[in-house]
Amino acid sequence: MALINPRLGKQTTQSIGGLDIDVTVAPRNRTSSSGFVNRTIFIFRALLSLLKGMKITFGYLVRPSTVVTQQYPENRDTLKMFDRFRGQLYLIDDDNGYMRCNGCNFCELACPNGSIILKSRKNPISNTSELDRYIWRLDSCTFCNACIQACPHDALGWTQDFEGAVYDRRLLVFQLNKYAGPPSIAIKRAEKKGEGVEELKATTIPRTRYEGKVPLAGSALPGVPALGTPSKEKL
Amino acid sequence: MIPHAGYEVITLSDRANAALPESLWLSIGYMLLAVASTAAFMSVLGMALVYVERKVAAHFQCRLGPMRVGWHGILQSVADAIKLLLKEDLVPDRADRLLFFLAPAFSVLATLLALVLIPMSPTMQVVDLNIGVVFIAAVGGFGVLGILLGGWSSNNKWSLLGAMRAGAQFVSYEVSIILSLLVAVLFAGSLQLSEIVQSQADGWWIWRGHISGFIAFIIFVIASTAELNRPPFDLPEAESELTGGYHTEYSGLRFSFFFLSEFINMFIASALGATLFLGGWMPFHIGGLDGFNAVMDLIPPGVWFAGKTGFIIFLTMWVRWTFPRLRVDQLMRLEWKFLLPLGFTNLMVAACLILTDSYFFPL
Repeated sequence: MALINPRLGKQTTQSIGGLDIDVTVAPRNRTSSSGFVNRTIFIFRALLSLLKGMKITFGYLVRPSTVVTQQYPENRDTLKMFDRFRGQLYLIDDDNGYMRCNGCNFCELACPNGSIILKSRKNPISNTSELDRYIWRLDSCTFCNACIQACPHDALGWTQDFEGAVYDRRLLVFQLNKYAGPPSIAIKRAEKKGEGVEELKATTIPRTRYEGKVPLAGSALPGVPALGTPSKEKL
Repeated sequence: MIPHAGYEVITLSDRANAALPESLWLSIGYMLLAVASTAAFMSVLGMALVYVERKVAAHFQCRLGPMRVGWHGILQSVADAIKLLLKEDLVPDRADRLLFFLAPAFSVLATLLALVLIPMSPTMQVVDLNIGVVFIAAVGGFGVLGILLGGWSSNNKWSLLGAMRAGAQFVSYEVSIILSLLVAVLFAGSLQLSEIVQSQADGWWIWRGHISGFIAFIIFVIASTAELNRPPFDLPEAESELTGGYHTEYSGLRFSFFFLSEFINMFIASALGATLFLGGWMPFHIGGLDGFNAVMDLIPPGVWFAGKTGFIIFLTMWVRWTFPRLRVDQLMRLEWKFLLPLGFTNLMVAACLILTDSYFFPL
């Protein structure tokens, strides 16, 4: 028997390293010891365990509710991926539609293979650094989750979208931010102060899907540094 | 000898013999019918069993199995058969070509020879030999010859290892299978399959022989599963160790011959178990209860046979998809240290039961 029941063990005290320590001596292989009766009991227990296994599989057979297979193209409308599924990276917006990301660059530093490329800019009004472009390369991403764990503002998340297949590898480069401009926390701070909210909002520039050329060989392009260059040398 | 010979057994060979004095052509017609029906039965049953196996396996593992071709994938086997027929037939370089071509033929031939003896109903049997049980056991050895030849002639180490394992497994478990068959033969007092079926008119040997018949049945199921090379005894074709075992190098039609004979052998083993221990096509009777027996007779014998065989086939599938594969030494230990002594003891007990007429409803 593989499992040891500690209650069946012998409670003793042993002197180990000069200390008296309470020890439970586990019973050893009780059922398979020699002797005809013990042997027979062992065989019957083994047979019983086989029957137990057969009972479990029979339960799967007679209950269709245990089937986990999804009939995918047919149930496309109702299919829901589980929460921890890592579909695609996205920037989390607050209720007003402003992103939480302030371009702090932690995710880019955390990314093990340079799949995240961040470009930040100086805000003309507040003169603070903020996100300009957030570029995510799905083609080299390993979905290791390091960027999300590194994010101090909970601004990154995974969608449950699993239909990410495309016919052109260059379509796997995404620009995640919808605008370049101040994060939601900066706008909230301005609202609290009661001044300069409209001016701050006016500095946002809408950003769409990534449309630039894609450095498949890792070479540099306008707005995107070459892969492997230290982040200080960003354009 | 036989208390209730209510059924008259007419085999196709009997019909051909009877027709011979009157018309040679009618006799030849019966022979052709026998050949055609056996071949058709074999191929259709093979496809059906593959489909059933896949469906049952899927649901044992919380899956759905084939769902696309036809309603719930019912035509999947047909599609697979067409695919296999159209596939390229590869012969490995420096293979023994003659033996390579002969091996699948041997396998299918052994299966065919055993299939003609199975009594499916009083009128659905091709040949009824008076040494039926011995014949089936002997022909089974022919099938493993095909496997050994296939593994040897492929010129591939995996094939050779798989074939050698199959040979060792067959030799070991054949002993147990014969010992369990002998119990039923002792009870029935005949080697002829139709007579064994008729001897169970008062009740099936699995319960009439007290515990002896039941143990013989269990040994038969275990040993026949091992002889069929089905999991948990599928060492000859263990995918994780031997890629494909003895049929690694086979493709297309020749592979399908091996595959077909494997599945039909499963049917034959189950049918043999049903015939010897569960009464074959004989309805469920309890000696003395004439009213009950009359009700049971309303169900035709063919349906009884199909039901009992289907039950044993389901049992072997259930075992296959529940238990993990054994190691080679565990396999041998199970046979030589457990099943063989049990089988011998069981045979002695059965002989004592028969000598003292202490089983239920003695003949």
